Amino acid sequence: MRSFFEGWRRVRSAPALLLGVYAVTVVVALPLAISMRGLLQTHLGQSLAAESAAEGVNYDWWQEFSSQATGIGTTFTPTIIGFAATLDTISGVLDGQREVAPIAGTLALYLAAWTFLSGGVIDRYARQRPLGAASFFAASGVHFFRLLRLALVAGAVYWWLFAYVHRWLFREWFVEQTRTMSEEREVFLWRVALYLAFGLMLVVVNVIVDYAKIRVVVEDRRSALSALSAGMRFVWRRAGRVAGLYALNGAVFLILIAVWAFIDPRARGGDLALLVTFLAAQCYLLARLALKLQFLASQTALFQSSLAHAGYVAAPAAVWPESPSAELVRTSAR
Amino acid sequence: MTAVFAVAAIAAQGQGGLDHQGVSNRLRQGYGGPPKRSAKAEDPPLRNAGVQRFDTPEPGARSPRNANYDIDVRLDQSARTLSGRETIRWRNISAKPTSELQFHLYWNAWRNAESTWLRERKISRNYTAPRPDGWGAMDVSAVRLREPSGATRDLTSHITFIAPDDGNPEDRSVMAVPLGRSVDPNGTIDVEVVWTAKIPRPVARTGYIEDYYFIAQWFPKLGVLEDSGWNTHQFHAPTEFYADFGVYDVRITVPTPFIVGATGRQTARTANSDGTTTHRYQEQDIHDFAWTASPDYIDLTRTFTHATLPPVEMRLLLQPEHRGQEDRYFSATEAELKRYGEWFAAYPYGHATVVDPAFQSQADGMEYPTFFTGRARLFPSRSRQTPEMTVAHETGHQWWYGMVASNEFEHAWMDEGINTYATARVVDEAFPDNRWELRYFGGLVPWSFPDISYTRLDNDRMAGYRDNAEADIPSTPTFRYWPSTAAIMSYNKTALWLHTLERHLGWPVMQRILSTFFDRWKFRHPQPGDFFQIVNEVSGQDLTWFFDQVYRSSNTFDYGVQELLSDRRDDGTYRTVVIARRYGEATFPVDVVTTFDDGHRVMEKWNGLDRRAIYVYERTSRASHVRIDPQRVLLLDTAYTNNSRTLAPRSGDASLRWAAPWMVWLQDLMVTYAFFL
Repeated sequence: MRSFFEGWRRVRSAPALLLGVYAVTVVVALPLAISMRGLLQTHLGQSLAAESAAEGVNYDWWQEFSSQATGIGTTFTPTIIGFAATLDTISGVLDGQREVAPIAGTLALYLAAWTFLSGGVIDRYARQRPLGAASFFAASGVHFFRLLRLALVAGAVYWWLFAYVHRWLFREWFVEQTRTMSEEREVFLWRVALYLAFGLMLVVVNVIVDYAKIRVVVEDRRSALSALSAGMRFVWRRAGRVAGLYALNGAVFLILIAVWAFIDPRARGGDLALLVTFLAAQCYLLARLALKLQFLASQTALFQSSLAHAGYVAAPAAVWPESPSAELVRTSAR
Repeated sequence: MTAVFAVAAIAAQGQGGLDHQGVSNRLRQGYGGPPKRSAKAEDPPLRNAGVQRFDTPEPGARSPRNANYDIDVRLDQSARTLSGRETIRWRNISAKPTSELQFHLYWNAWRNAESTWLRERKISRNYTAPRPDGWGAMDVSAVRLREPSGATRDLTSHITFIAPDDGNPEDRSVMAVPLGRSVDPNGTIDVEVVWTAKIPRPVARTGYIEDYYFIAQWFPKLGVLEDSGWNTHQFHAPTEFYADFGVYDVRITVPTPFIVGATGRQTARTANSDGTTTHRYQEQDIHDFAWTASPDYIDLTRTFTHATLPPVEMRLLLQPEHRGQEDRYFSATEAELKRYGEWFAAYPYGHATVVDPAFQSQADGMEYPTFFTGRARLFPSRSRQTPEMTVAHETGHQWWYGMVASNEFEHAWMDEGINTYATARVVDEAFPDNRWELRYFGGLVPWSFPDISYTRLDNDRMAGYRDNAEADIPSTPTFRYWPSTAAIMSYNKTALWLHTLERHLGWPVMQRILSTFFDRWKFRHPQPGDFFQIVNEVSGQDLTWFFDQVYRSSNTFDYGVQELLSDRRDDGTYRTVVIARRYGEATFPVDVVTTFDDGHRVMEKWNGLDRRAIYVYERTSRASHVRIDPQRVLLLDTAYTNNSRTLAPRSGDASLRWAAPWMVWLQDLMVTYAFFL
């Protein structure tokens, strides 16, 4: 619990980090959004269909656009409206059916950016004091390739989980177990159980990877594999505290999702309504990012409180300036 | 979140477990009580007046009643088989004699992997090879002809299997039985057939799952003898069925705890000493018979009443986990009974049974005479597509298929297309709050989109048509359609051209066309030409050109504005040039309406035949915009966006409006994936 609140304190103490990662989200998404706008504008051309599309949903036009869309245009579906976007993404991940090929490049760029920034973020939370942009990016640079190697290993594990474990669980075992069930209730409960089981696997990998990242940065480890091993040891030896912290953060995630589902902004209204909807969505994304930072910050706090790296977080030793008066003071002190 | 909170509630509602054969423990322990039925639980046998029992058709019979079935069938629950015996009284109503009978043995389509049905499925989408329990079969052990003297002649050894469509020697869905003598026109014979059938796990519309059974196409059924010979197609993946009208008297023996629903009205129920009960169902002037049995049904009845239409007793067999959705089932059935009754003709049977099928039974959305299935989900849909649209559609099939009995092997559009078109109108009127919906998490959790209405055009299935407009020529016999797009031709394209015809002629004319078609062809087998002839007759126009475009061709329609120019001249006037273009190969007359800034509108009637039509206007006002087919009469136009052009486009506003939420979606997706790192 202490680490949970300590994490939020550290996140609040570094608002620039939150704004920074949010800015990255915007900067990475914006070019593709501009491209999408171009596609939509080209298809609408000088058609009067744009009149109704400009005021709300023109689903007839939307379907016509979808029937000829290629590339990123194929992702322009009603699931972009309101909470459906979140629901669609989470459902797609859990069902192993998220088709990301059209945006794979952008997604890879974003994940690479996150990997780069993670080093600086963890370093900042660990040091618990303002570092300045230069130090932040220096730390990010120092740890980037280590974290990248770690990310590649993690990526391989996730790929294996989705390509083999998920496939077996959901497309073979689940189908086999439920094919003779005549009640949807039973089938639903089985599916929920599988989501929980698979979700737990993802969480375990995620937790180990998070603590591995923390150990890379806090302990200045060079080897991704040794960091993973160290992360596993840390999680294993403090499973209860680690799980408890993750559960608390997870509960916040669920609450956030529930709130967003309740708000579920609509797709109609004038320009003001459109602006309010967009800003509300950006606030929701800010909250998601803050929560992501909270995961890192609270886990860093837990790690530091467990392994007492007090010296790491101490303020740097005072350095006398070079001047005759300072020299006089220094020599007098001896 | 709804789903999360629902998990506990759902888990709390337990059901009985299963034994090793999948038989419900509740079944073995004995059913908890008699089914909930109205006071008329055991109706008296139908009176002889108006009821034919292997006589020549009685006066007042609605149909020829030339294919009459008296059937006894027993369900073997543990072996998952049916044992049946039927006596068919058949009368040759064609103009030619015949010396053989041809039967459909539909379940042989799942006898092995080389049947025509499975071969065609393999080349279509979503094919999965049947599991060991997914195979079915129908084995005829005896065919006996009753001679006029009363003796019977055994024809069993003369049975052959034929494949009139593709010559597939492995296909056993059509059985031919030489009679050894001729049956002249209007001659009558009695034939006894004994068979067993292995019930499959649900493959297509029929089968069992746990102790739920939906049994369709389960008995050897005669083909249709036409003047040109037997019309007995093999069972194909994209087709349904075709048979003659008659009287059905069916006795179904099942374990006592089962609740049974079937075509027709139950006239008797007899408890047997072996723990089974025999349910007798009878109906006349029908051409098919299906039934269902399950110990779990909730049995509900309501009566449809109307000021001018006869009452209809509606029986609903509801799954327990869909309790609470019965009102939706009944309201959809009533909506269709009311409107089809007002538009076309009254429903004549007096009763209808609606089945809420079990999950994964593959029996949903299917029609049989006086008996049809809907579709409901554990988490109720907020959209009106299920159960309302499905139930309404299947109710509508009582007219288009049930009474106007077109050949579904050759002209599926005549029932599916007409019914899709008309039901879309019903749902649009009766359920205007129809909203779009998607299902997530394995298709189990619904999410509705209140800002997207499910319009009549959506229920005409425009989206599917647009992507497959050239898939086939609709006049091709249905069994020769490309399997994966056959439904698009039969349902979608037909509904759209019928709706186009409605917009072209007006609903009053269209309603008269359909009611005339129904009136002339009820309880008969119409051909496409019969429908087209009535369209021409009632409309007073020769619409052969229209049917040439939409029915006898796979050409697509696409009219668009190629150019709109409005240039100011030295004298202050404007010279406006409008170029309307026919991009598609199919033709249709369209209006071209140009609107000017001063509000003036000019409408041109273009016959749509040439590739271009150019209109030039010289006016004091600049043009504002031009629309081709502004009333959207031509619903088959695959690209309506290009039908208009404005000199003050708002595509920038529209694209910005929609690029913004798309960007939010992308950001959300990126943040979600960042969870993994």
